[in-house]
Amino acid sequence: MLEALFLLYFLVLLATLVFKSRIVTGPWLFLLRAFFPNWKFFHATGNVPHLYARWALPRSVPSDALQWSGWSPIFPRRPRRLLHLFHNAETNLALVQQNLVEHLAADLNHMASDADARALVSYQLVSRLVCQSLLVQQTGCTYGQFEIRMLLDGPSGLIEEDTMMRSPVLPCR
Amino acid sequence: MPVSSAARALEVLLALSLLLQTLEYLRMRQVLTVQGLWAWPVQRADIPPGPVQKLLDLLFADPVMRGHLLLRLPVLLLLAWQGSNLALALFLFVSHVLMLIRWRGAFNGGSDFMTLVALTGLLLAELVQLGGDSHLAWRAGLWYICLQSISSYFMSGWVKLMQPEWRSGQAMTIFLNAAIYGPLPPTSVLRKPWLARLGAWAFIGWECAAPLALLHPLVASAFCAVALLFHFLVFWFFGLNRFFWAWLVTFPAILACSSQQVFW
Repeated sequence: MLEALFLLYFLVLLATLVFKSRIVTGPWLFLLRAFFPNWKFFHATGNVPHLYARWALPRSVPSDALQWSGWSPIFPRRPRRLLHLFHNAETNLALVQQNLVEHLAADLNHMASDADARALVSYQLVSRLVCQSLLVQQTGCTYGQFEIRMLLDGPSGLIEEDTMMRSPVLPCR
Repeated sequence: MPVSSAARALEVLLALSLLLQTLEYLRMRQVLTVQGLWAWPVQRADIPPGPVQKLLDLLFADPVMRGHLLLRLPVLLLLAWQGSNLALALFLFVSHVLMLIRWRGAFNGGSDFMTLVALTGLLLAELVQLGGDSHLAWRAGLWYICLQSISSYFMSGWVKLMQPEWRSGQAMTIFLNAAIYGPLPPTSVLRKPWLARLGAWAFIGWECAAPLALLHPLVASAFCAVALLFHFLVFWFFGLNRFFWAWLVTFPAILACSSQQVFW
């Protein structure tokens, strides 16, 4: 009897992979999603949102156009250390920031066409991330701007790139 | 592994895993302050307005947050040193849920989820113990953790098996290139398609076969040994150190449940 129950349990798990049901969403479900883990890790390749940003110094004359830097990626890359098995705060922080970018991309996908992205918490947090990163790159920068680009990678490198959104100019000071 | 030994091992490993998490949170506490990137005044808009939002405003104020994290340290030492009790299990459970909310649902994805599973198992064991049967209580807690842990490998394996990119081995190279320690060097052996395919199939096969670990303690021991290597590799290539510890916590449960030999 017990064997049959275990078998049934794992068959039901398999069935959830085959038969898709309606996705239930809500603010509390999002915040408490740890109670409903789907255990799908690194399961599908495809377009991945990446954050790109650029900065501008203050105008010398108010009527001048802003002089922008080139676009550069804000993407976590860290050196590897064996000791990080025990303490890896910086890397984990970088990873959660990349997750934030993915949440913004998902929010933008699900947003109503007449909604303002600036009201999204994920947008506001990404704006803060961009300004903080740009201020580290260029201490004198006053303005920032970011893009969410969808990158499709293959085994040998980039296959496709598409800009999903460009933010308005952000005051970084 | 006897239930009592597994329970003790679980308490010690869970305390260690949560201690490492707490020390990391303390190290990065600046980003959670009002001036930091993850400022609560911005994030509070995630919470529907009402009494819960007001309560969270209080709990996530900078000094309270710091105090909360510092309080976790002696509690975790107590868990490791003398074992759990209901108050301690409840505190750690609520504390973990609060940290999840503070990080918008998850700080480190799967490791947070598995830590919650372990804490739920611990809390379940403590609640059932109120009935007076400690052995039954720990069996319930350990079986809950064991089933969730085995399910995590099982689901993770089958979902990969259904993806053509995983079956061809391409997905592994793509994920390794995009990892925090990536991209792979141009001369890396992991770029060789045959090796990527072999590695992908090895892990898919092992993950899909996870329920077999319950058949015999020897199978469970071998399964956990491979799992240890697997999680170390995940840490080594993706930087996910918390996954290593979060899943290690569940191994005593897998070993104890397989020792009960319920299937024969």
